Amino acid sequence: MSRIEAKKPSLCTSEPLTKEVVSYSLSVLSGILKSCYGPTGRLKQLHNGMGGYVRTTSQSSVLLGGLSITHPVLKVLTASVQNHISRFSDCGLFTAILCCSLVENFQKINFAACTVTKISRHLLSLCIDYLKSEACVCRIAVDFDSIKTLLSLVHSVLASKPACMLNKTETNHISTLVLKAFLLTIPHTVETNVVLGRCVIVPVKDKRVMDSTVFPGLLIEVPAFQLARTFPIKRISSSTIKMALFCISMSGDISNTGEGTVIVHHGISLEVAVLDQLLSLGKQLVNDQVGLVVCQKVIHPSLKVYLKEHHVITIDRIGVSMMEPLSQMTGSQPIASLHSLSPTYYGSLKDLRTESFGSKHFLHLIPSDTLVCSLILCNRNEMAWDELKVACQTAEHVLQLTIKQPLALLGGGCTETHLASYIRHKSFTLPTSALKAIDCSWTQYQLVADAFCHSLECVARCLEHDDCEILTDTVYGHFWSVQSEFPSDCNWSDLVLKCGCGIYSKQQNLNWRVLQSQCTPFTPQSCSNESFVNSTDHLVLDCFTAKCSGLQVAVETANLILDLSYIVEDQN
Amino acid sequence: MLACARRAVSMASAASLDLGQLAQEAEALASAVRGALGPRGGQVLLTRPTGETLFTRDGRRVLEALSLAPPTARMMVACVSMHHSMTGDGAKTFIILLAKLLRGLQAVLDKREGSPFCEDIQRGERHQRSCHSLKQISQSIMTFQTLLLDHVMAQDLRKHFLSAFSNWEGEISRDTIESILEAYFCGRIGYSDQKLLSQLSSDFYYKCIPFKNDRNEMLNLVNEYFVELHFAVTGLPVSNSRILEGLILPRDFAVYCPAGGDIRILIVTESIHSALSAPGLEFVINAEAQYQASQIWITKRTEAIMKHLQNSNIKVLLSSVKQQEIVIYYAKINGISIVECLSSEEISLLCKITGISPFIPTWDNIHSEISETMIAKFCQPLVVGSKRFVHLGLTRTCTFQPHCVIFCGPVHGVTEQHASAFHGAFKMLQQLFKAVDLSDGCEVQSENPNNSSKAVHCSCDQQLKTCMAETEKQFIDSSWVGENPSSMTAKENTTTSVVSKEITAAKDFWKAGNPFNYEKSYKYTVQSYTNLVIQQGSVLPVGGNFEILLHYYLHSYAKQCQEPKITVVSTVIAEALLSIPKILYRTTNKNSFPQVYFKATSALRTNQQLPMSQQGLESVYCKYQLVVSVLHCLTKLLTIDLIIGIRRLPQKTEDNDSEDDL
Repeated sequence: MSRIEAKKPSLCTSEPLTKEVVSYSLSVLSGILKSCYGPTGRLKQLHNGMGGYVRTTSQSSVLLGGLSITHPVLKVLTASVQNHISRFSDCGLFTAILCCSLVENFQKINFAACTVTKISRHLLSLCIDYLKSEACVCRIAVDFDSIKTLLSLVHSVLASKPACMLNKTETNHISTLVLKAFLLTIPHTVETNVVLGRCVIVPVKDKRVMDSTVFPGLLIEVPAFQLARTFPIKRISSSTIKMALFCISMSGDISNTGEGTVIVHHGISLEVAVLDQLLSLGKQLVNDQVGLVVCQKVIHPSLKVYLKEHHVITIDRIGVSMMEPLSQMTGSQPIASLHSLSPTYYGSLKDLRTESFGSKHFLHLIPSDTLVCSLILCNRNEMAWDELKVACQTAEHVLQLTIKQPLALLGGGCTETHLASYIRHKSFTLPTSALKAIDCSWTQYQLVADAFCHSLECVARCLEHDDCEILTDTVYGHFWSVQSEFPSDCNWSDLVLKCGCGIYSKQQNLNWRVLQSQCTPFTPQSCSNESFVNSTDHLVLDCFTAKCSGLQVAVETANLILDLSYIVEDQN
Repeated sequence: MLACARRAVSMASAASLDLGQLAQEAEALASAVRGALGPRGGQVLLTRPTGETLFTRDGRRVLEALSLAPPTARMMVACVSMHHSMTGDGAKTFIILLAKLLRGLQAVLDKREGSPFCEDIQRGERHQRSCHSLKQISQSIMTFQTLLLDHVMAQDLRKHFLSAFSNWEGEISRDTIESILEAYFCGRIGYSDQKLLSQLSSDFYYKCIPFKNDRNEMLNLVNEYFVELHFAVTGLPVSNSRILEGLILPRDFAVYCPAGGDIRILIVTESIHSALSAPGLEFVINAEAQYQASQIWITKRTEAIMKHLQNSNIKVLLSSVKQQEIVIYYAKINGISIVECLSSEEISLLCKITGISPFIPTWDNIHSEISETMIAKFCQPLVVGSKRFVHLGLTRTCTFQPHCVIFCGPVHGVTEQHASAFHGAFKMLQQLFKAVDLSDGCEVQSENPNNSSKAVHCSCDQQLKTCMAETEKQFIDSSWVGENPSSMTAKENTTTSVVSKEITAAKDFWKAGNPFNYEKSYKYTVQSYTNLVIQQGSVLPVGGNFEILLHYYLHSYAKQCQEPKITVVSTVIAEALLSIPKILYRTTNKNSFPQVYFKATSALRTNQQLPMSQQGLESVYCKYQLVVSVLHCLTKLLTIDLIIGIRRLPQKTEDNDSEDDL
């Protein structure tokens, strides 16, 4: 008889958004996220209070993964941001902050959820259509002929992660390395299906950031004593080493014998039989002039000794994760048979060297065709290294997304303020037919549009944490920041230098106003005069794909949350 | 007797059924879903013990998540679940209706004076008395459902039904399907994605089911294998949801060798590489050389099989089990792609749509020809989000055109909601193409004579017969008009007056000027068979029309009915039905409930078509089934006289329904 335990009845909450606990915890969460945003964002220290691992971070992926959130409404919000991050790596904080601000601002106007949803859907489609159209002036095309824009993209990603503890030269150095590593993974010959190679990050935690470097090919860590006993490698020609890659165990264990019984007569050793097979395999490898044998699993010591006597280098236990880049890089197919070796499945290497980094020793496998590279990443301490690693992976992902859709958005808050001015202008001049289609009044539309723009501007405002005043100009709708201690009689134009993304410097004909202050809607334009456009310095750029998707996810999630009428929590 | 029973179970807790308490429980359940009903309803957020969150407007999900303790409440939820899993719709309406009915019946019983259910027994215990009257009510409801409901549907409501079909062959136009689906999704998902999902599902319908002849069979297939025909991606905006041609297997290739042209595919359900010994067999090793030789033999055999597959031009192996590394190695050498670990459902779906059976490698067929293959246009990796899947485009298939839906959404809770709503929509479409037979219900009832309801039965039968005769006469004529208009002149001399009357009536109806422009998109089909209460594809406009119509006709029936018990029951049901439109029109100022109700009833009194405020259609069969299910649930509840708490699991019978274990 089984023990029956009564199920606890569920906890129900109706109209959850009107509850104080929701708005309070939402404001706490958005406060944490807002203070992390941007290059000057504040760092958060995560610890469990029981002597566990301490992590200092300002990145959304680490932060949201570390926070334990209990309220279901906030769970939805963080889950959708985390799903966004797992797809795009970038723009997590942007999505989260925008979503929080949208919920807060839409709640303030207090309309029926379906009206808000309909209008914000329309506004979102206005935004997305604009961003995807040729007329959009807050995006730039990425030119693959020069590395300038690509470098700006990487630089912006790294610079917005203050917990990496990089100074200016270090940021530049790492940006260059990340870009270099990425370029090494692009195949030389372009077919219809482009498959990018891999960049393997190798941790070296006791050296300076400036010692970080990129190697084409793979670095496999080996113990120092093994490195000391190297010998001249058997080569086919001066630039070719034949290699064999095995994905099965070569340890001489008995392979599976099926579900029936196997009877072994006395005096017969299956181990010997298998070892015989291994040694005959070794003989064939030697005959085929293989210079390097790599095995995913364990190689039997006797076979190792045999191969070593014949000047064949063996590397075993490299793990399943290294198999794909190895086979991609050398052209060798993983061999799964001990009985028949097809010579066509051998691969080739250009060279094999030994490298030492700090206290670590590596075998450096140099392929003839680079597709795989190793990025040796150094940083001062463990915490900063972890942060830097995530930042580099994000940057790599951003580059991969950019190669698919070669566009970038202006960063530094300029896209947000520009988009807000565009939406204000568009909603002001909305035709009545569109209003009829959405089934709402002009006033309703204006109020929702205003809350929407307000939320966008709120995200931009979060970029400044020090005592600064945020301005926006009335021509381009860009983001400008000034120190707040200024004499009351002075002109805005004496204080500003250049806009957030760095594309425009100050001009005579520009007028500024404080962000989020009342103004008449205007059409944001692009600059016709080339002389004001900055073309020398780094621009601040954001990943186009990630930001567009983040914008959509934020609006959709905010709508979902606003639409909630009831919560049923299972208490079991 | 009862006292004895009480003593016998005194160890456990026992309680008699209290109608007021039942009504209270049902009301509590109803209040949880009321907010989610109708196009203006909000979402409900459910959290599971595992911590995941789920958005839903699905009444069944909400009710099940409440996990209420009272056994009668759990029985109500079980009834809702049963109904929902059958029709894919109506869970919220079910519980609201049930709550209203219980409350209505309680009011009838409380009145006592003049109530037909309280006359019979004046003496005896209070409990016994109430128990008796409950039993009587439940019998009357049963009689009502089996006899009167069908009758009212056939006699009165039928003339209001519209047909979803655009012609006599039963073709269904895209507009109609879309308005049916949109009405469905209005009640099931958030506002912002309703349009998108109704378009997606009507696309899916037309892509998968290009010919109407095998419609029912194909809908069955879609419903049965929906899990295999969809998959979800989180972290992307909902607008990325789409339909893909072909099937998607949610895993990556074990080996992928690109191939062009027609790709021959084989299904295997066993490991190709054989082991040293098989179950029930012994393998004796006498010498080391023998062991080595047998290992080599096994390897050679695998090599030979793979070679043979290559020679037979097989390009892809779909395997339900994990294959050995050596098989993968030889597959790669021979240019064969392998997909492993297919679920048994996937295998059975593939077998069903291609009509092949799995290949079993034996020593004999290594050299014989392989016939059980399917052909695909393409079989390639597909990257969605950041995961790789197998995308399979089959060519030689049965009439079912395999397509699959990808649901995108910011969180898992949303994609799951969309997927279950999508599945529900196809269940609902299945119901749309069902018909209700009037004669069936009557026969079942007449074979099962019931003492207490005999009087009712007889009087009803009599009424019914006269009505039937009347309608029969009409419908013979009208079916004749519909099916063969050209032969009208031939029979004119006999039934001219009737026919012309029918035609003018139909014309008048069409002239009534409704927003749908029915002349073009829907034909008002006069029911062709007298024994069909609801014809295939019957629909009504949404917005509580069915409820208002049924309310109106039940009311007018109750006025002329001679049997007091039936009158009471019909009145209670008629009143309860109104609760649905009351909730639907609760917020809008322009269309408040009293206005809508007044307009509808005045239109009905003057024999006009109902005014319609919303675009959207719903299946009459679903609605009818809902009323029947609610009444069934109600009778089941009322026939219980004692609730006994026990300390161990109730013994389950072999073929138990979900209600049995309560």
